[in-house]
Amino acid sequence: MTFSTGTSDMPWAIDAHGLGVEYNLRFTKKTTLRQTFTNMFGGSGTAKFWALRDVSFRVEHGESLAVIGPNGAGKSTLLQTLAGIIVPSAGSVDVRGSVSSLLTLGAGFDQELNGLDNIRLAGAFLGIEHNDMEERLARIVEFADIGQFIEAPLKTYSSGMRARLGFAIATSVDPDILLLDEVLATGDQVFRAKSKARVLELVKAAKAIVLVTHDMAWVTEYCNRAMLIEKGRVILEGNPAEVVALHEEHSERTRAEKAAEAARLMGAAAT
Amino acid sequence: MDLTREAPISYHSSAKRPGALGLVSQAIREIRSRRRLIRYLVLADLKKKGADTVLGNVWWVLDPLLQMLVYVLLVSVILNKSQPDYPLFIFAAILPWKWFTTAITDAIYSVSSQDRLIKQLQFPKIVLPTAATVAGVVNFAFGFIALGGLLLLFYRERATPYLVLLPLIAAVQFVFTLAIAYAVAAINVFYRDVGNVSRHALRLWFYLSPGLYGAATLSTLAVNHKLFIQLMSFNPFFALFNAYRSVIYDGQPPDWTSLSVLLVGSLGLLLLTTILFKRVEPSFAKVL
Repeated sequence: MTFSTGTSDMPWAIDAHGLGVEYNLRFTKKTTLRQTFTNMFGGSGTAKFWALRDVSFRVEHGESLAVIGPNGAGKSTLLQTLAGIIVPSAGSVDVRGSVSSLLTLGAGFDQELNGLDNIRLAGAFLGIEHNDMEERLARIVEFADIGQFIEAPLKTYSSGMRARLGFAIATSVDPDILLLDEVLATGDQVFRAKSKARVLELVKAAKAIVLVTHDMAWVTEYCNRAMLIEKGRVILEGNPAEVVALHEEHSERTRAEKAAEAARLMGAAAT
Repeated sequence: MDLTREAPISYHSSAKRPGALGLVSQAIREIRSRRRLIRYLVLADLKKKGADTVLGNVWWVLDPLLQMLVYVLLVSVILNKSQPDYPLFIFAAILPWKWFTTAITDAIYSVSSQDRLIKQLQFPKIVLPTAATVAGVVNFAFGFIALGGLLLLFYRERATPYLVLLPLIAAVQFVFTLAIAYAVAAINVFYRDVGNVSRHALRLWFYLSPGLYGAATLSTLAVNHKLFIQLMSFNPFFALFNAYRSVIYDGQPPDWTSLSVLLVGSLGLLLLTTILFKRVEPSFAKVL
């Protein structure tokens, strides 16, 4: 792997500065004109919300940063923003080096095309050149281990086969920067072991990693820095053990609050 | 291993967006660097369209012919309107119109149907409506087989060297189609009504264009409906159908003036819709 020109003297791989992502709830899925008009005139005040607010951090080369936090905190939005999928509404993010986001797991590219054509199409979407992709083809097919189905249309695949193909494609590139979003939760046990090995291989080869996970053991074992996000804001950043401890304390408290709330509701229902 | 890439390696992503001209040059760069992706998408589209039918791609030749038969039956038999060589007369309009409607209908859903991909992968979304429009060209080209057969078997005396001008007229139509494709693809992400509206709008558009009837029929109407006729001349398919018909049916060169006006207008429109598409593109991943 070589550096792209001009990056070798730069120590950092990712630089996020005052990052903010705002969602406009007016345009949620399947809006029709009628709904827009009702919104316009009915006017609900909370049509916008910040999924991420004022997030600044830097990932140096050689670092592995874990992003943890409760569901809906903005972790996946953060990864999508780092991958360039979502453009920030405030602030900026600079990325130096080739990025592979393993957010693409299980992404069916085209249901009607066969496995091989899907791999080629995926390569074209990822922007990998034709010759490069042809070289990778055999490796991907072997890793995905879907046998003769590789000649069959994707719509005939089981969900496990789909996940394996997606994983094989996504991990076939050797990126400088790796963005991972809960990648180890797919497939059967054998494949999970195989994919964990491959991810570790990539983690060792990559120059920088940002991963979102709920697996705290992974965080303390493989990451040298962690960041806790709650409600779109960074709560704590630093030593993985400390951040994990705070996260667990917080989630314990939330659990207790929820249990109390549930008990109260149950009590109210009983009387 | 060194990765050679068609996608940029390092990037800067911020709330600040380039101005209108910056967006256009970005769009041109994206399409140029992603030519292969567009080609794959077009091929995938063609593979799919023929895959489930017995006759496969033969339908692309048969479709316009059958549609022609329906109109011939309706107009010259039931309504008893006479126009010499009516089948060829009408085929000259059906062929480009079918291309336009297929391309636009595909373009409408080109972005919104790729919602999963858009949320998981960064790539220039403008390739999607572009590929849909290019796929339509291939469909159109198959129609030429039908046109050639028709001319060769029944209307040999109408075939003139002017037929070689067809690609020029088609090029003008392509620019116009692409401009509309970008607009509808972008709008459909936010308002899913575009598909429903377009079905009716396209039908009305066809009947308001001199497709089933000729420009001559329109001029007889001009006495009573002056304003209407003036409005009609702004219809791009007025110029397009006339041009196709001159070359295919009348054996004459097309009206270069109206074609050039349409080309310039379409390029202007394409510029505007490209800016529109690029401006709303960042919202796609959030809205879909």
